[in-house]
Amino acid sequence: MRRPVYLALFVLCFAASAVLIVAMAGGRFLENGPLPPVPVPPDNPQTDAKIRLGAQLYFDGRLSADGTISCATCHDPKAAWANHNPTDTGIRGQVGGRNSGTILDSAYMRYQFWDGRAGSLEEQALGPIHNPIEMGETLENVVRKLNAIPGYKAQFQTVFGTDVTADGIGKAIASFERTVVSGPSPYDRWLAGERDAMTPAAVRGMKLFEGKGHCSPCHGGPAFSDQSFHNLGVGMDKPNPDLGREAHTKNPKDRGRFKTPGLRNVALTFPYLHDGSAKTLAEVVDLYNRGGEKNADLDPLVFPLQLTKAEARDLVVFMEALSGTLPDIKPPALPEGPSTSSAANQGGAR
Amino acid sequence: MNRQRLVVVLLALVTLVVVLPTPSFAVPVFARKYGVQCTMCHSAFPRLNDFGARFRQNGYQLPGRENEERTVLQGPAPFAGRISAGWNVRNYTDVPTTITVPPTDVNQLQLNGLDLFSAGVLAKNIGYFAVYVPEIKERSGVVGQEGGLEMANVVFSNIGTSWFNVRAGRMEPAYVAISEKRRLSFTPYAIYAYAFPGGLALSDTQTGVEFYGQARWAGSGFALGYAAGYMNGTGTNQADSPADFYGRAYVVIGAGEGQTAGQRIGLVAYQGKASPTQGDRACFTRYGLDASLNVKQWNLAIQYLRGTDSMELWNATRDGTFSGGFVELNWQPMTRLVAFARYDLVNIPDFTDSELNPLDPNVTYPSGFTIGARYYLVDQLALHGEYTNRTLDFAGSSVPDEKETFYTLSIDFAF
Repeated sequence: MRRPVYLALFVLCFAASAVLIVAMAGGRFLENGPLPPVPVPPDNPQTDAKIRLGAQLYFDGRLSADGTISCATCHDPKAAWANHNPTDTGIRGQVGGRNSGTILDSAYMRYQFWDGRAGSLEEQALGPIHNPIEMGETLENVVRKLNAIPGYKAQFQTVFGTDVTADGIGKAIASFERTVVSGPSPYDRWLAGERDAMTPAAVRGMKLFEGKGHCSPCHGGPAFSDQSFHNLGVGMDKPNPDLGREAHTKNPKDRGRFKTPGLRNVALTFPYLHDGSAKTLAEVVDLYNRGGEKNADLDPLVFPLQLTKAEARDLVVFMEALSGTLPDIKPPALPEGPSTSSAANQGGAR
Repeated sequence: MNRQRLVVVLLALVTLVVVLPTPSFAVPVFARKYGVQCTMCHSAFPRLNDFGARFRQNGYQLPGRENEERTVLQGPAPFAGRISAGWNVRNYTDVPTTITVPPTDVNQLQLNGLDLFSAGVLAKNIGYFAVYVPEIKERSGVVGQEGGLEMANVVFSNIGTSWFNVRAGRMEPAYVAISEKRRLSFTPYAIYAYAFPGGLALSDTQTGVEFYGQARWAGSGFALGYAAGYMNGTGTNQADSPADFYGRAYVVIGAGEGQTAGQRIGLVAYQGKASPTQGDRACFTRYGLDASLNVKQWNLAIQYLRGTDSMELWNATRDGTFSGGFVELNWQPMTRLVAFARYDLVNIPDFTDSELNPLDPNVTYPSGFTIGARYYLVDQLALHGEYTNRTLDFAGSSVPDEKETFYTLSIDFAF
């Protein structure tokens, strides 16, 4: 071989070595790595008793005004802790305007609800109780009702050293929800070196996810969410569109922006988008591929992707590979007391 | 096998082990910083897609995520490189006997080029981009390149508003509407290479300051962009010339930036002055129209330019007027494969021999076509095949045209 060829090969090899060194040294901003340990706030440490109490409250319809709706109604373990209806149906058959997000891995989300109006699971857990469309109850009334149930009253004394309080309800449910965490997905196993954990189509989809599909800038990080809010234009053409985050912050810049949902187990939590208007992942990919829905506040990160049909399919296959093992949690026996609703106690399937 | 060869073979094996089985490695500097594939910003590197165009406009920051950006001190080492090598065949026919430096045919493995670059965010809304080209002397097996800092600019972005940004330093100015530095083909755009003897070629990087921005009327699917610059000018006879000015305006219809989505149409005007002889200053102008049109996986890029060079710049008896441009069609049926076809045309000033004094038989202007394809073995490693057939037109009427054919099968590696 001639000297220039040596030179070229040497530079190539040097470059490859540099790549390896630098890639090992630097953390990556949008890296979709495995889930870290569940973050637990210092003022609400996890205890077994609190988690058991939280599970009972989660599945108990008595937290709603008419005893028919529990947390599990809209966040059903049988539906990957979500709800397969486009939008929520609350007490007296009232239909809400937004799709139920999954509880699975919600412990990793900085904001709760599509508009991010709750900054913690503790805060989120109380929201639906006093939402007139969802559970339609007041916190005062719930506290009064639960204090009338000896089993709850005793558990609250054990866990918090007080009678039932709204704060305690929120903390107990949040503690339980922090146990609703998915296990390793094929993607996680692939990352760990199990090269046959994902199909070739899923690997192709992963590359698209981190490249041409432009998914990573928003769906980055271990939970596949940037913990932020974006406007895709969905529903913005309606006469009275859901303003999303703006309704909470009152900032016009937040118009039509909704929380970036995590994508772990996303294949199980259909339908999609804040209004449940996309029945399948393929429909969601199609939405992005055509550049979202045109509106005055469309996110600058959203534009046509020029994905081929095969690429769109690969992207869906990759998202299907984000489904991990689900926690085996059965609805617990509830404390005996007034107005126990059998319908809401069975995992909420409606 | 001698010792040197053994070392090379071992290193090559290391390369294969490191690079090929890890397709999720995103190697160059931005991809490494964000942990993404090159295709996040490039439809097919080095060509930018719409996301990449917005990223560049935003001072190398993710649009809307400026507060979360890591600076060069917080992220991985902000260095990267690009190297290309391959088998080149270049043949010349009908070489005029009058030219003093005849071209030589090539048929061998060659190192085509090596670039080293550094880029990143220095602080919120302050980014930089630098390209250093090591000097490589032309010799057997090596295509020579002039060394130096090809680019080194700082971008101050979102100054009060997203449509006011400033880029200062050495850069590829915005009047190069279809980027010369990020073209897919190895063959340069002929119209950007046009220059009066010793003068400015638009393909040259320049030192100066550029203001640019874009206003997008979201919902209307319509965006208006602008750029205006004040540059030093380049070329051997511009060393002591006053600064040059240019302006560019463009419209984007539809979502995207006209790179792979949306339709972009632009206008450009450039006025410069050069000093062909001590104390003299003569004007030249360039103005043109460009378009980048997209339909699904197809992109049609068009550039038309016209210009006038004062007679002093040619040492001629009258001003020279030229025109030309190119039409380039890119087709990317899949992420890994892109094909391109281009026709370049340059109508040089039609000076007669008697109008030029002296007649320089070495100043050539090519027209012709280029076709090629790139297949990306992995994200940052492309197998590149290209064929170019050009006619080289010499200034002056008495020198006959020369023919050039160029084939290459190369690898293009970003690291």
